[in-house]
Amino acid sequence: MAECIQDVIGNLFSTIDAKEELLGECESIWKLLEECQNQLLLLGTETLLKSNAKLSLLMTRVRALSVECHQWQNRCPELSSNNPDVLVKLGKHELQKAENDLEMMLSTVESKNRRLEQDLKRQQRWLEEQEKIVDALTQIEQEIKAQVEEISQKSWKKALLRELQKKMLQLKTRKKDLLNTLSKFLEEHFPLPIAANKILVSKLMDTPHEPYVKINDSFWVPYIELLLRCGVALRHPEDPNRIRLEAFHM
Amino acid sequence: MAVLRPFNKLPELNSAVLLLVGSEGDFPQKLAETILQEKRDFTVNIHIATSLPLPSERDHLRPRIDMIVFMIDIKNKHSLKNVEDSLAHVDARFFLGKVCFLVTGVGRVNCCSVDMNAVWKLGENYCSPVLFCELELEGTRVSTAQRLLRMLQICAGYVPGVSALYFNTLMTSFS
Repeated sequence: MAECIQDVIGNLFSTIDAKEELLGECESIWKLLEECQNQLLLLGTETLLKSNAKLSLLMTRVRALSVECHQWQNRCPELSSNNPDVLVKLGKHELQKAENDLEMMLSTVESKNRRLEQDLKRQQRWLEEQEKIVDALTQIEQEIKAQVEEISQKSWKKALLRELQKKMLQLKTRKKDLLNTLSKFLEEHFPLPIAANKILVSKLMDTPHEPYVKINDSFWVPYIELLLRCGVALRHPEDPNRIRLEAFHM
Repeated sequence: MAVLRPFNKLPELNSAVLLLVGSEGDFPQKLAETILQEKRDFTVNIHIATSLPLPSERDHLRPRIDMIVFMIDIKNKHSLKNVEDSLAHVDARFFLGKVCFLVTGVGRVNCCSVDMNAVWKLGENYCSPVLFCELELEGTRVSTAQRLLRMLQICAGYVPGVSALYFNTLMTSFS
């Protein structure tokens, strides 16, 4: 088919005929144009006043549009030429144009596809990287969690220890307090036997003729008993409430 | 003859002519350069004027103008007045889709010294689209250039099935 068309176009004589025919057509169209032009020149000029520009323009437009509409309605599709050579040439031209357009389209689509593929690859790489990052982050998170647990255990132990130490300290101070109170109480209610001894010795030394001492509340009764049993002190032969120190020095 | 008329001359093959009217420093120049850098399959010819009317002595050298863009700088309150005065020198048939107002400097609304309601009103009264852009920003300058180029293509009749009036009616009825 293509070869057949080539043959037709290759026919030089017929092409020259076609060319002349076309030129003739162009000439007649140009003549028509000149006639129209001359008619147009006969029309006077008409400028617009600012005040009524809109109205007069709209009127003109209505006229022009209705004329145009009328023209379109009465227009018949015109054949470009009856000459087969011209038609073949025109057809070929149109086909070539279409082919060019399609090729351009194809190359555009291909380049777009390539770009999209590259985009996809890049996105996939990015996804992989992101997944790796997520893995690394989860690992770190787990490590940190373990550390946190350890630390919290340690600190719990420490806190326990501290509490124990505190309690111990409290106990110590309490013990001290208690001891203090106890010694005060003892001092108050059960004075040391040294006091009785001292009184006995000083009575014996100061008044050797009257060494007896009267037992009062300040003397600790068990101690007096001990002194009497051991024979360190002696009771007055007539008054049980009075005692004296044994005269060791005589 | 000071009034600009559409279709007053025969068109040139595969070319479109744009007229930029604006007095804001080198912005029209910059915009024209940006438009010329855009890819297109027809020749674009851009004429720049600070105001209308155009000098009549060079009228015979000037090609047919397919579209006029009036530039209004919101930082310059004289620009609106300039555009309003220039509109008096344009034929009414130009407003059937071949005129557009371009408000520039909208990135600096705090420096606005033009009544924006007046600009909207202007677009409404003259049945023409009002575009907004900031020419100092490369991105918006390029997109504005693309829009204007597309409109120019339609105005010059290079889009089969779409006339300037039809496109303009679409644009203004949705704005």
